[in-house]
Amino acid sequence: MEFTLLGAAFVAVIALYAVLYWEARRGNAAGCTHDLWEVAIAAAAAGLFIGRLAAMIADGVNPMTNPADIIIVRGGVATGPAAAAAIAVAAWLGRRELWPVLDGLAAGALAGLGGWHLGCIVRDSCLGTPTDLPWAMTLQGSTVGRHPVELYAAFAFLVGAAVLAQWRQRGKPPPGVAAGLALTAAAAIRLLTEPMRPALAGPIWWYTLGVVLGIVAATQCWRREVSRIDAQSA
Amino acid sequence: MRSRWIPALVLLVAACSADIDISAVPELPVTSTAELQEMLATTTTPVVVNVWASWCVPCRSEAPLLERAAVTTVGEVRFIGLNVRDDQTGARRFIAEFFPMAPIEHLADPGGTIPIDLGGNRGVPLTFFYDRNGELVELHSGVIDERTLALQIDEILRR
Repeated sequence: MEFTLLGAAFVAVIALYAVLYWEARRGNAAGCTHDLWEVAIAAAAAGLFIGRLAAMIADGVNPMTNPADIIIVRGGVATGPAAAAAIAVAAWLGRRELWPVLDGLAAGALAGLGGWHLGCIVRDSCLGTPTDLPWAMTLQGSTVGRHPVELYAAFAFLVGAAVLAQWRQRGKPPPGVAAGLALTAAAAIRLLTEPMRPALAGPIWWYTLGVVLGIVAATQCWRREVSRIDAQSA
Repeated sequence: MRSRWIPALVLLVAACSADIDISAVPELPVTSTAELQEMLATTTTPVVVNVWASWCVPCRSEAPLLERAAVTTVGEVRFIGLNVRDDQTGARRFIAEFFPMAPIEHLADPGGTIPIDLGGNRGVPLTFFYDRNGELVELHSGVIDERTLALQIDEILRR
């Protein structure tokens, strides 16, 4: 039985919970009546399911004739469809107060992703492509130095979560901007670290799309707030 | 009214799955530990030995990955599929469905003793990674993911 994936998921959930708890204590969730923890877990579960389903279809495995394969998460989860499904479910559950819910989840989602990548230590799968850099790490019994790429990603996600949470508390960004920036950060971190991951193939256009959509969302929300303030002062 | 259509649609989609033609898949040659060890001792290219069975659900999950890896590294890495504790019809059906185009050499071990002799266990799937000297570099138990497969292939190619 393979439990290392559960270990990584556990680290992710702890990181998500810690940031949501910290933000709630600091008043960052003010104006949001939803239980963000429940929304986050429901969104993550939906993302996992849809991502696994998409990976099966992409691999040519029919989910109708092989339904049991859906639970073999280690077999692969398609990141793009998983992220799209998680965002869609979070938006649907929080539709009555869309931006407060998505903003409230933003830093927690980044922390959860950071925890998931940090879980590579439990899974023994932190290493990527070869490098001569001084901090390169090697597989057991090997002399080939490799990028600890999952640790890079974990560090970037956790720093992103901390910066976003602090900014939300001090800067009070307009509704939707934090969510847009979180999407941009998540997609950009994956896009930048992807070349350091060994892969058989795999399009990374999902990450480029995520960066573009995140920037567009954040910019539009910012402009809408500026227009609203201008209209009020006029 | 609409709810009546959903089960009907599900059944229709399931019924659309075509019956698998195994006539193009040859019988799997039965091998032994000694034959496999001899092959590993004389190899000049890295070898990946994947232990699978048609009754193994996780094996279905990793089959497309192995097929992609075998196609990507054709000529550089030799892929061997070791079918264990299985019957020929089931194995051929599995190959026809999940490894249709893969440059993978499939062998049969009906007793399922070879993986244990090679240092593994009775569980399936198992994946052995050997370098070009026939030295075991990594034994992966359970379903393998794309990152691990790509990383271990890169490792055996560089040793």
